[in-house]
Amino acid sequence: MPEETIQQSLASQGVSRRDFLKLSGVLAAAMGLQLPPLEKSGLPAALGVPEQISPTEQTILNALETKQRLPVIWLEFQDCTGCTEAVTRSVSPSLTNLVLNTLTIEYHETLAAAAGFQVEQAKQDAMKKYAGQYILVVEGSIPTDLDGSYCVIGGRSAVEQLKEAAAGAAAIIAVGNCAAYGGLPKAKPNPTGAKGVWEIITDKAVVNISGCPAIPEATTGVIAHFAIFGTLPKLDKLNRPLTFYGKTVHDRCLRRPFYEAGKFALSFDDEGAREGHCLYKLGCKGPTTYSACATIKWDQGLSFPVQSGHPCLGCTEPNFWDGGGFYEGQSAPLDRPTITAVGAAVGVGAALGIGTALVNQSKKKAHKGES
Amino acid sequence: MSSQAVLEFARGPFFYFALLFMLFGLAYRLFNVISLGWNKDRVVPMGSKSKGVVITFLKAFLIWPFIPWVKDTFNRNPLIYIGGGLFHLSLFVVIILGTPHMLVWKSLIGLGWPTLPLPVVDWMSAVGIIAMVILLINRRIHPVLKLISGPAEFVAWLFVFLPMITGYMMTHHIGGSYEALYARHMISVDVLMIWIPLSRISHFVFYFFSRAIHGQEFGKRGVAV
Repeated sequence: MPEETIQQSLASQGVSRRDFLKLSGVLAAAMGLQLPPLEKSGLPAALGVPEQISPTEQTILNALETKQRLPVIWLEFQDCTGCTEAVTRSVSPSLTNLVLNTLTIEYHETLAAAAGFQVEQAKQDAMKKYAGQYILVVEGSIPTDLDGSYCVIGGRSAVEQLKEAAAGAAAIIAVGNCAAYGGLPKAKPNPTGAKGVWEIITDKAVVNISGCPAIPEATTGVIAHFAIFGTLPKLDKLNRPLTFYGKTVHDRCLRRPFYEAGKFALSFDDEGAREGHCLYKLGCKGPTTYSACATIKWDQGLSFPVQSGHPCLGCTEPNFWDGGGFYEGQSAPLDRPTITAVGAAVGVGAALGIGTALVNQSKKKAHKGES
Repeated sequence: MSSQAVLEFARGPFFYFALLFMLFGLAYRLFNVISLGWNKDRVVPMGSKSKGVVITFLKAFLIWPFIPWVKDTFNRNPLIYIGGGLFHLSLFVVIILGTPHMLVWKSLIGLGWPTLPLPVVDWMSAVGIIAMVILLINRRIHPVLKLISGPAEFVAWLFVFLPMITGYMMTHHIGGSYEALYARHMISVDVLMIWIPLSRISHFVFYFFSRAIHGQEFGKRGVAV
């Protein structure tokens, strides 16, 4: 029932007014919107601001009360369903609930109860019914070699399906590194000619929620942003929302002081590793990886890879599979000459050097002989 | 082209080419000089040649740097001696004992070693940068240096200075995103590696040979220098 407003839909599911207000606050935080500081309310900080609604929350509240529910079509191509798994196990249950249940996911291969022709038909119907209104979420890369025949669903290639769905979409969100930048399928030698969504759909803005998997709060946060404001959040050069991808993992890392102090773990089981020292020498890609991983974390803020003792792989960046060894220092060069190549360069250089010297010598002798 | 793409190029194919070009060029120049040959030695040596070589290296690295004032080279030009000395020490500390640089060596030769804490390396790199600036000013105002400095000297100065300043900016996150700073640092390093065999920066290889040859000359003549 898309005519119902979001608030009405929630109310019919038994969400109280109080919970609804709380949800608005959660949404504001999830989207990185600024809440006015406590002291501006004029109350002593210790008292807090009970039952007081900030202007930001009020905006969200108004939107939820007036806006209609937002249909979402979720396509999966060359993926592992990890991003879907992450979203369904998201940190904020109320937020996930909002996005998954209230925003009407009209089509999602993993979550759909139907299968085969029925679900294909449902997708076609949804695209027709909500043409120009739905959010298209794409998970997985799109193979382009051999006319896209590496990934075919219901007899039609992924490229074809993507173009068809993108044509009627109000907004396009590429979830996960595969959909955003090609991810694992694009790793050298890229046998399927895998591409990210924004390399194929060039006439519409594509929001990239990169990551492996994408941080679920970023996915739901962007969807919620569009549902409430009708616009896409501010993006960086790689089309990632700045709220979630504005800082590097290194910037926000809890092991950062050890980096500054020059204290590093040298193996995964040495004293440094036990003391929680920096993982830079074990190949951490945190310094060049833009992600909210270190702040939002995973599993209800429990931990994230670096906290758990594993170096950052750089999974929010394009081509991270080919960005050097995962356990090799980040400063290490990507292409290293082999011993043979070095030997050849030195050998040819030496031979040329000796050769020209001998030629010069013989010229000199000949010159002396003449005189 | 995004900074990430530039960085991948600078760390990947460009680095590969620059490294091989440097090795090729250095091998060419070194063997070219060595193959020139030198005149036959008809004099009976007054001392051991190899002893002369060992002594000259020991003195150069372990004695003179610690008592420089006994040498004329220091007394005549203390600024150049101290500035140059600190610059070379800074290079050694940063390139060999800085953690990220050690990891480059490790990836290239498969061998790692303990490194110094970041603040120590950071201060040493600042010392190197300041020394370079002072030496440049000196080169511009010193009456004799002014006469013997041509474009080659200033180009060499720039190509050495760029990796140092971009590396320092990268450590302190000044002037852009990390990968943009990293890309600039890597490009300047690649350019320097290509420039090394084409210029006198190659002295870091030639130095050891010329010093050895001088050492054996001293040894042969029985001069304790």
